[in-house]
Amino acid sequence: MNRRNLLQLAGAAGVAAMLPQVRRAAAASSAPRRLVIVLAQGGWDTTWALDPKAQSATIDVPAGAKQLFGNLDVFTDASRPNVTNYFTKYASLTAVVRGINVGSVSHQECVKRMSTGSRNELNPDLAAIVAHDRGNDMPLPYLILGDTAFAGPYAVSAGRVGATNQIVTLLDPASAYATNGHVPIAVTSAEDALLAKYADATVKRLHATRGATGYNRKRVDDFSEAIGRGKKLQAVRAGFGARGRSLTLDSQVDLALDALQQDISQTVMTSTRLGWDTHTDILDQGTNHETTYLGLTRLLDGLSTRPGRLAGTKMIDDTTVLVMSEFSRTPKLNSTGGKDHWPVTSAMVIGAGVKGGRAYGATSATMEAEAVDFTTGRPSGTGRVVTHSLFAAGVLKACGVTPADHLGPTEVFDAFVA
Amino acid sequence: MRMLRYLAPALLAACTASSEPPPGDDAPPPDPTAVYLTPTQHLSRASMALRGMRPSIEDLKAVDADPNALPAIVDRYLASPEFGETVKELENESLLLRIEQPTLTFPVPPSIPTATALEINGVFEEPLELIRDIVMSDQPYTKVVTANYTLTNGVVQAIWGLPHTGTPDQWTHAQAADGRGAAGILGIEALYHRWRSTGFNYNRGRANMISRSLLCHDYLHADIDVDTTVDLSDPDIVANAVMANPSCAGCHQTLDPLASYLFPFRGTINLVALQRGDATYPIGGYTTALETRWKTTNKRPPMFFGAPATGLAGLGQAIADDPRFARCTAMRFASYLTEVPRDQLPGAWVAQLQSELVAQNFSAKKLVRAIVLSDQFRLSHDTDDAAAESVVGAQKVRPDQLERMLRDLTGFRWTTATAAKLRQIPYGTPDLLRSDLVGYRVLGGGIDSYFVTEPVHTMNATSSLVAKAAATAAADFVVEHDATAPAAARTLFVAAAVTDTDEAKVRAELAHLHARIYGELVAPDSAEVSETYALFTDALAAAGNPRRAWKITLIGMLSDFRSLFY
Repeated sequence: MNRRNLLQLAGAAGVAAMLPQVRRAAAASSAPRRLVIVLAQGGWDTTWALDPKAQSATIDVPAGAKQLFGNLDVFTDASRPNVTNYFTKYASLTAVVRGINVGSVSHQECVKRMSTGSRNELNPDLAAIVAHDRGNDMPLPYLILGDTAFAGPYAVSAGRVGATNQIVTLLDPASAYATNGHVPIAVTSAEDALLAKYADATVKRLHATRGATGYNRKRVDDFSEAIGRGKKLQAVRAGFGARGRSLTLDSQVDLALDALQQDISQTVMTSTRLGWDTHTDILDQGTNHETTYLGLTRLLDGLSTRPGRLAGTKMIDDTTVLVMSEFSRTPKLNSTGGKDHWPVTSAMVIGAGVKGGRAYGATSATMEAEAVDFTTGRPSGTGRVVTHSLFAAGVLKACGVTPADHLGPTEVFDAFVA
Repeated sequence: MRMLRYLAPALLAACTASSEPPPGDDAPPPDPTAVYLTPTQHLSRASMALRGMRPSIEDLKAVDADPNALPAIVDRYLASPEFGETVKELENESLLLRIEQPTLTFPVPPSIPTATALEINGVFEEPLELIRDIVMSDQPYTKVVTANYTLTNGVVQAIWGLPHTGTPDQWTHAQAADGRGAAGILGIEALYHRWRSTGFNYNRGRANMISRSLLCHDYLHADIDVDTTVDLSDPDIVANAVMANPSCAGCHQTLDPLASYLFPFRGTINLVALQRGDATYPIGGYTTALETRWKTTNKRPPMFFGAPATGLAGLGQAIADDPRFARCTAMRFASYLTEVPRDQLPGAWVAQLQSELVAQNFSAKKLVRAIVLSDQFRLSHDTDDAAAESVVGAQKVRPDQLERMLRDLTGFRWTTATAAKLRQIPYGTPDLLRSDLVGYRVLGGGIDSYFVTEPVHTMNATSSLVAKAAATAAADFVVEHDATAPAAARTLFVAAAVTDTDEAKVRAELAHLHARIYGELVAPDSAEVSETYALFTDALAAAGNPRRAWKITLIGMLSDFRSLFY
């Protein structure tokens, strides 16, 4: 008997109330799911952690060895303790998806494909979709802390904080920039209401004339909606910290946790802001992995300790984390000690909606994507290769979004989805 | 009062839409249910699209009195320096040069030790300045890839070693003397510093940039899958695969020969060495000896889509002669000026513009003129719901346009002093609507040309906050300025002083502001002015201070939909 049958059998609400564990689980599954994306832009080398391989004639790997964390095998080394620490703490929440075929070796193109599940930069990325579907009533449904993001038709729901977190200068009059030593007047709330009334009158007139339908209507509605969202942001300005902070991954993590916990945002895009494009020195992958996994541990620590939306839960119970890079790097080192671009990559999906603790998909001894059984996620001679779009569809499903609503009729690689 | 002689209420209603044909356009309307802007609305849109400024009241009156006055006004706009700025902004959306990336910012050249990061990054303006010069002097647009000169300023001279005459901040004509040939922007090193070529990429990314920007042919849009059996880390295997492997050769047989033209420009510039002093300025130079480097690298002789063309000059001429160049130019200009995505532009219109561009000896000005006087440009909305979905009847101001509009209307420059640094270099004093590091270019919906490469043509929370903050600062500035300026020297307050509260005077001033800010010729007793008058009187009641009430009123107007869209 599953939970739904049990509740149907129990019938009366009073009986259900006697089953707090069951009720909480059922409610939590329907709670709008949050999404944090961590983008390692530049192209990570999956042999440094996510896709353990042995040194061979076809693959050059760093120092280290395969280590099991429960059922999840990861490539670790004593010189990279942050990687080991992360998986020691959070392997059970982490699904590693291997052998994702991106089908290109261009940074820009692959970032677009992995982010949107499509080949069109005018389409929204996964975080924009989840924000729109699951948290559009928030002040800033999609918070972009990283560099690259695709808001597409949901641009009105998205917002950036700026390279030096200069959004705070817009939220707090006391932080506003001075021009020629002069800080402009601060509008009072009473005056603000007058301005809103004036804008509303324009909107109403436009609705009755050239803004009644179609493209114009959307622009008019976005104009009106954006004003409201701006006010909501100003009301939660404390959550954005101070101007001038350097947006390292750690500081992005802190900002993301605050924004999610305070229900400012439903989804957050972050960037490791590290030089992953290691054409000439592959050892930079090691330091990048260490910095990234330290940040990930900080993120998961925060999600695991801060309260969730429902009583007794933690944020991790309703937050999914996607960690990805646009592609991986060639199996072999090149003549300058680096590795070039490779169109098959791996990613991590962590937390809510995810069957963690194991890997899904696989790559061959030459780092080619292997065919996979979409039900089990294990290699299969009769299976299919996991492409960027099928993987993206799976992430959307993990976040409680119907993939077909946004990606069109599509298969979904959802073996890792709980 | 002169304003009073304008439109009676009955006529005002007609201002919202017109089905009259536009002056000087014989093309059939694109849709039978399409509704067009009135002549004055058309003027406002043309003025904003071409200059990023609202039309003068004199121009509004002229077009209101005679719609046939519009083409001559457009011609005047096309000769204005602001149109030159628009050309650079338009081209930047393709070439993506205006970046603020520490990894691409040159260390301070010793010859200009006080240069700020903003000034140093001005080195990326060189291709845009050349195009501006070609367009503004009405040379054939093909000169973009065939010109035998460039433009330099003091920073360009210091970094690349090109000759420069004039003051350091002045862009003046110059010629390289290293044999790179007459190839317009194709011979400008800043283009290749922005689009670096690393490792064994062998200029392929650069070649695609050229193809994408000038021919609208983007190799990355091809529906291909990379053959993972090829060892991409071995340049010899790759060199063989891109010729012999069908999944590679489909693109590389034309991409790689295009890339082969670019070997004389170095793949990357070692900025760290420059910073340490291990390398010295100037660092420019087209190395003729490297023209044959393709023989030891990608093994593809330079060719333009299968056709022979000698050197950079030959490449430029081949691009200019390619029909895709004319078509791409027409598409890029039309898309920018209408905010319609390129792939959604009506094909017949693009074909018509392409033909006109060629027939008019590639005059970009005549192309732009044809665009802004067309039916497509003056679309207001559509009465058919389905058709209305694709009618861009409200164009959003880009951050650059907003900066110019506010400066023109109020005399205000939104700058700030900052201690920020970029690559350890003092950043300078930025225009906040044009800065990424401390300002609001991206937050306001613009592009940073690196991570954000598509502008946002609608409002969101941050662009709304940016618009309001800009409006607040500009309103504050102009009211304080006009409060102390002699009547003849006031910027906006011509029908009333900022201390006036008398209804007749206030309404007259508001009618003036409606014309100036919204491009609306409305009477002081019109419904539109009454709405704004209500804002003024409410603000006055709230603050008890006329000067503050005017500021609030101006904030409302400058951040209104009618101000932020056109």
